[in-house]
Amino acid sequence: MIGLLSYAVFFSTVASILAIAVLGLNLQWGFTGLFNGGVVAFFGAGAYGTLILGGTPQADHLGGFGLAYPLALAGGAVAAGALAWVVGILTLRLRHDYLAIATFGIAVTFENVMRNAEALSGGAKGFRGFERPLRDLFGDGFAYNLFFFSLVLTLLVAVYLFLERLVRSPFGRLLRAIREDEDAARSLGKAPARVRLTSFVTGSVIIGLAGGLYATFYAFISPQDVLPTLTFQIWAMLIVGGAGNNRGAALGAFLIWGAWTASGWALSRFAPVEAQLYTGSIQYILIGSIIVAMLLWRPQGLLPERLVLSQSGQPVKPRQQGA
Amino acid sequence: MTDHTIRRAGRFALAMALATTALTGAAFAQDCTTKIGAVLPTSVDWGKPIAETAQFVVDQVNEAGGVQGCKIEMILRDTQVDPKVGVDAAKALVDLDGVQVLIGAVSSGVSMPILTSVTVPAGVAQFSCCSSSGAFTALAKEGKTKGLWFRTFATSNVQAVVGAKVAKDKGYKSVAVLYKNDDWGQDIGKLVAEHLQAQGITVTASVAINDAQPSYRAEVTEALAGQPEAVYLALYPTEGISAVREWLSLGGTQNMILANSLKSDEFRDAVGLQYLGSTQGTDTSSPRVASADAFVASYKARFNAEPNGPGLANSYDATMIALLAMEAAGKDAKGADIAAAVARVTDPAGTPVTADAAGFAAARDVLAGGGTVLYRGATGNVRFDENGDVSAPAVIWSFTETGTQEDTYITLEEVDALVGGSN
Repeated sequence: MIGLLSYAVFFSTVASILAIAVLGLNLQWGFTGLFNGGVVAFFGAGAYGTLILGGTPQADHLGGFGLAYPLALAGGAVAAGALAWVVGILTLRLRHDYLAIATFGIAVTFENVMRNAEALSGGAKGFRGFERPLRDLFGDGFAYNLFFFSLVLTLLVAVYLFLERLVRSPFGRLLRAIREDEDAARSLGKAPARVRLTSFVTGSVIIGLAGGLYATFYAFISPQDVLPTLTFQIWAMLIVGGAGNNRGAALGAFLIWGAWTASGWALSRFAPVEAQLYTGSIQYILIGSIIVAMLLWRPQGLLPERLVLSQSGQPVKPRQQGA
Repeated sequence: MTDHTIRRAGRFALAMALATTALTGAAFAQDCTTKIGAVLPTSVDWGKPIAETAQFVVDQVNEAGGVQGCKIEMILRDTQVDPKVGVDAAKALVDLDGVQVLIGAVSSGVSMPILTSVTVPAGVAQFSCCSSSGAFTALAKEGKTKGLWFRTFATSNVQAVVGAKVAKDKGYKSVAVLYKNDDWGQDIGKLVAEHLQAQGITVTASVAINDAQPSYRAEVTEALAGQPEAVYLALYPTEGISAVREWLSLGGTQNMILANSLKSDEFRDAVGLQYLGSTQGTDTSSPRVASADAFVASYKARFNAEPNGPGLANSYDATMIALLAMEAAGKDAKGADIAAAVARVTDPAGTPVTADAAGFAAARDVLAGGGTVLYRGATGNVRFDENGDVSAPAVIWSFTETGTQEDTYITLEEVDALVGGSN
């Protein structure tokens, strides 16, 4: 029983970290219509940034600044934001699929730099993390995982509340206006380029925060953590959960990560021994099928975007299902 | 009650009866089952045979009566070479199935987070066939693996120590090191410099060689500045050829020591054999023991193919040593006890046992009598150092007209002595 609980906490921690990243992508894609195909670069920037800033001195590469954990985590998120700012200035004039291709290229570049720049990232052998924060207080076992889960959950809720406020604000309406019709927004005197950049950087900071938590939790990061698969997983979570709906984004993270892990568990348990070696491939098929089915029958996601009709002076907004 | 429900009820009863029979049948066949976990990249083509080999070991041990009288069930989970997936699978195996032994993973990038966030906190013993990163040794040296980590894959340390031995045997007083600027090159370059210094040889320079430069004049000049008597080259042929040509043309010595990466005809032909007369290279070697041949034979009998894929012999040994250690640690042993028992089954003074079902049965008897065992595995007589690393036999070779010839074969015992002596 304690095993089940322990696993549930562990699973929820990873799912919550991924949910934070999905929320960041939701701001970019769901609300602003920016197709970020390089999620993993910003996730990785946050992860490496956090470990470099918070790590203990290591012989063969950068790091060892030993900053207090909150500073290191914030620094990682800022690193992701800085990367997004540079990338954004270069690429945000691109639309949809072109932006996707450009950002995907950035992500592959990022992975290769991390694999080769030994002095920066430890290269292919990876970057060892620091002792997890407050480990002395909670030890190594279940209590620690519970503490870390509550930290991650708090941050997830904070990010969620922040985004909910943001998208309901005038700025949020502006994001949606740009998503729907950029020219119309410009004709009203808005500056779409700047708003798109703001949204892109903000979303990337959130994704970087998720990366920082991820690297802290595993106390290790290597180029293998920043492969394009992660971008695909985070996108799948957003599509299934519902782009443009923050609750949907978080739900999607739990569902897809749950399906990913549960299918592996179920196959290892119930599939016949001869099929055991093929469970990996079967799992890919299962998850691919879920995504295809979603796109066919419920393309708006499980929790679709709620269309908010704002009327001045009315705090309670009438809602309407469907997009 | 309709016909339909009656039929359904009947079918249900039949299913129940069948299930009961199946259960009691199982109970007769075996009294107990001990689970072990395996997290391996089965969705990757080269990962599948590694997993099959691990399962092969489990089948052999079950054939010999299992561990402590219990059948072993290996629960295999796929890592998809994705650290998140691998860590989650490992955590599920530890928490939900209560395994005390985990086989895996293959990639260092997956094994490491499993080690730091799952097995060490939970006190589970982890045996990897193939993770090669030096980060594990560093972690172990800091005591952060708590002795729970083992890998059956020899590190670059073996070649580095043998390279230093060549320098010492030839009486060189000073050596410059040129290394390829990647994870492997940086690792071995650093190690060889340490071992040379430990032998009392001066390292005049350690110079990184980047890929695909048109000229290495600057690097070579830097290495020549200390006027070394010999040069150690941990390079790949392409950069190695350019660098060595410039080295020789600038008056560098022909006393060269090469890592196995330069054991190539391309390098010999491009540099010219007349310049390589006093050059020797090092390489790790597959063991010259009967047990290695026995593994090849039994593998062929089972899979009808040569065990040529990467990591197969290592996977076999990792799994077998894990199971032997479980047997040695006693019933219901925890991961830490199993890890501690590894020394009892890889004891050089112990009774030698073979790598098959009969060997396992023999080991059980010896262990039950309080003795220790020397496991003669598919990669030879495996012995772990205090960091959970293994070494391998090595060879010293030189170039000939037609290829390379072996000058010296250094057995595992001698390699161990060298590694031990220079530490």
